Amino acid sequence: MKKWWHARELSTVAILLAEVLFFTWYLWPEEGRTHPFFNLGNALLIFKYSSIYGIAAIGAAIVIISGGIDLAPGAVIALTTVVTGYLFVNLGLPLWLSAFAGVGVGVAAGLTTSALVVRARLPPFIATLGIMGIWRGAAYIVTEARFYDLSAKLPRGWQIAGVSIDWLGPAVMIVLAIVFQRFMTGYQWGRRIFAVGGNETAALFSGVPVNRVKVLAYVISGVLASVSGVVLAVVQGQGKADLANGYELDIIASAVVGGASLAGGRGSVAGAVLGALIFGVLRNALPQIPGATFYDRLIVGVVVIVIVVMDQVLVRRES
Amino acid sequence: MSVAGRLEFHDVHKSFGAVRALRGVSFEVSAGEAHAVVGENGAGKSTLLKILAGIVRPDRGDVRFEGQPFHPSSPRDALVRGIGMVYQERLAFPNLSVAANIFAGREVTRGVTGKLDEPAMRERTTRLLEELHIPISPDVRMEHVSAAYAQLVQVARAIAFDCRVLVLDEPTTSLTDAEVEHLFRVVLALKARGVTLLFVSHRLPEVFRLCDRVTVFRDGAAVGTHRCADTTTDTIVRAMVGREPPERVARPAVSTATTPALAVRGLTRRPSFSDITIEVRPGEIVGLFGLVGSGRTELLETIFGLAKPDAGAIDVGGKAVAIRSARDAARAGLALVPEDRQQQGLCFNLTLRHNLMIPRAEKSGVVRIDKRDETAAAGAQVERLAIRTPSVDRLPDTLSGGNQQKVVAAKWLATEPSVLLLDEPTKGVDVGAKFEIHNIIRANAARGMACLMVSSDLPEVLTVADRIVVMREGRLQGELAGAAATEESVMNMAAHK
Repeated sequence: MKKWWHARELSTVAILLAEVLFFTWYLWPEEGRTHPFFNLGNALLIFKYSSIYGIAAIGAAIVIISGGIDLAPGAVIALTTVVTGYLFVNLGLPLWLSAFAGVGVGVAAGLTTSALVVRARLPPFIATLGIMGIWRGAAYIVTEARFYDLSAKLPRGWQIAGVSIDWLGPAVMIVLAIVFQRFMTGYQWGRRIFAVGGNETAALFSGVPVNRVKVLAYVISGVLASVSGVVLAVVQGQGKADLANGYELDIIASAVVGGASLAGGRGSVAGAVLGALIFGVLRNALPQIPGATFYDRLIVGVVVIVIVVMDQVLVRRES
Repeated sequence: MSVAGRLEFHDVHKSFGAVRALRGVSFEVSAGEAHAVVGENGAGKSTLLKILAGIVRPDRGDVRFEGQPFHPSSPRDALVRGIGMVYQERLAFPNLSVAANIFAGREVTRGVTGKLDEPAMRERTTRLLEELHIPISPDVRMEHVSAAYAQLVQVARAIAFDCRVLVLDEPTTSLTDAEVEHLFRVVLALKARGVTLLFVSHRLPEVFRLCDRVTVFRDGAAVGTHRCADTTTDTIVRAMVGREPPERVARPAVSTATTPALAVRGLTRRPSFSDITIEVRPGEIVGLFGLVGSGRTELLETIFGLAKPDAGAIDVGGKAVAIRSARDAARAGLALVPEDRQQQGLCFNLTLRHNLMIPRAEKSGVVRIDKRDETAAAGAQVERLAIRTPSVDRLPDTLSGGNQQKVVAAKWLATEPSVLLLDEPTKGVDVGAKFEIHNIIRANAARGMACLMVSSDLPEVLTVADRIVVMREGRLQGELAGAAATEESVMNMAAHK
């Protein structure tokens, strides 16, 4: 029987807690002042910005578990904000319809990628590198250096059912994390994704529809990146071609820190979201330390390597 | 007495997880002799070679080379210290030239810059190839070199490194008779120059022809060393198996009046096989024998929907079926235990429970996984096939090869097929597991399953099959009743027109 404390997600939770404790201690304020890091408003900020990465990281984890890689989410996010912004601002469509059409950007990215991977037999790295360029390029062509100002058309201090719109991203991320965690562990499609990533030939010989599994993984990844894009467009109030530049690497890093193995067959949706929060806390807390802002990228790089090395040492000790 | 090339093993142990590959191996290879190591699959021969090549380290025990302790840190270290390996597979760089392959890891360089001295290596390679009578150019890329010459290039590499010991691992498996002759001439010439030969093979006639002494491995131990001149093939076979060869198990006759469970009619897939017609009745075990390259594996994979046939039809239970994928095959009532359990059989990232339940779920179209039902069904398979594991939540690599093979069979038996296709079902498992697998096949046939078993293991085909169908170069050569067939009659059909 697999013991619950062997669950890989727990070590990710432990890292996240250790990180929060560290910054709480390090940034402890003088007597009588509010804590600059450990307060509810800041927690919301962290969740709000992490959710853009976290939602897409769920898709990235699923593609990585299936044995592939998706470099396109940053570009998909950008084009989604542009399409949603164009429809909502320039054409005056209702927000829900514009958002829905925006998600079409991700569906198209997923279908095109999987056609290239399954039919043309391109390596996923190359296929999604191409998609990344094309989707980002399309965003620039549509906007021609302008941007769509959604915030002007959205009500100021907008609330849904009495809750600030700032909670939209975190709420979507948590709901999707629960849905896809269940999907990956409790449903046959999820198991197929693990099987294909673990041993594609054995999966094929076992009756698994391998090609359909790959299509599903890339479409999920594309759709979730688009959902990230919709959240970004609404929360940030912009549709712009240079949004989410370079996000794909942080998204992949989140999935990997959360336990996904680039060799395929291993990883977790919950872990990917926790990974996104680990980076979200870093991105939030480092600028509050005088002089540390410039170390942001360097520390992110070091964290990825340290966590993955730790993980491998633990796996080796277990076996 | 000279020590150049002498190898000694004292009480060498090696385990991989739960599998005890070597349990106290002791024997020695004298300087300058040709020494054979024989044994069944899983007897420990390949582990011994991996230790010599520096790929694995023994857990315990002493290996000595020329009187000194020998623990190479890598294949290159073993080579530099004087032990050259010739493998049956091409462990070479297919994209590099023959010369580059021979000098890989010990390139001849010039000056302080370390610039490669291509002309020197090319020159040396030309001489080596001439010496070994290998009519190929040093510049040709390795991928264009035939299997036989690829092995001789490995020999050339060992000579280039001045090896005192040459280890040959099943070198003749994929060679023609003429190529075997060439290889033997070359290694005997090396032996005459004082090179010690360690020859690992299961082909006893070659062992007797080439070697001075032979050490028999069984279940991870060296059970005896014999002088070839003073022993016989029968003695060696008995030592390898550890008991008398198994008897045929008497089986009830299968009625020829019943509808065939599987009927293949005129199935053709060029260039692998053409116009194959086979019927297998419920409860019948049909052995499909043929030499490597006769198209048997391709035939099974085509029946199972993994490749598209050019022509022909398949009936299951008297009804024509269109099978375009393994899932279609499963739904038609077919099951395939594939040849290579590492590549085709198991997902090593998934637990036994998950592995065991994939085909069953694909067949029934499960959407949501019912863990309780799965645990019960997987547990039942583990029990039914006596798979030795503490839990169905273990990973497959904690099991021995034989138990892994039983898992592959179990995951398909869980679909309750009417037709069981088996491709080399006992390849690479130990003797005990082999008999267990034979009994599993017989038990399922007794319950009415139709079994079509491909095997290169002639004694296996003769003891298990009710009927033996022979293929040669993609065509049916004929068939024999299992009880009446002999090794000679089957082999004659498989090898001659």
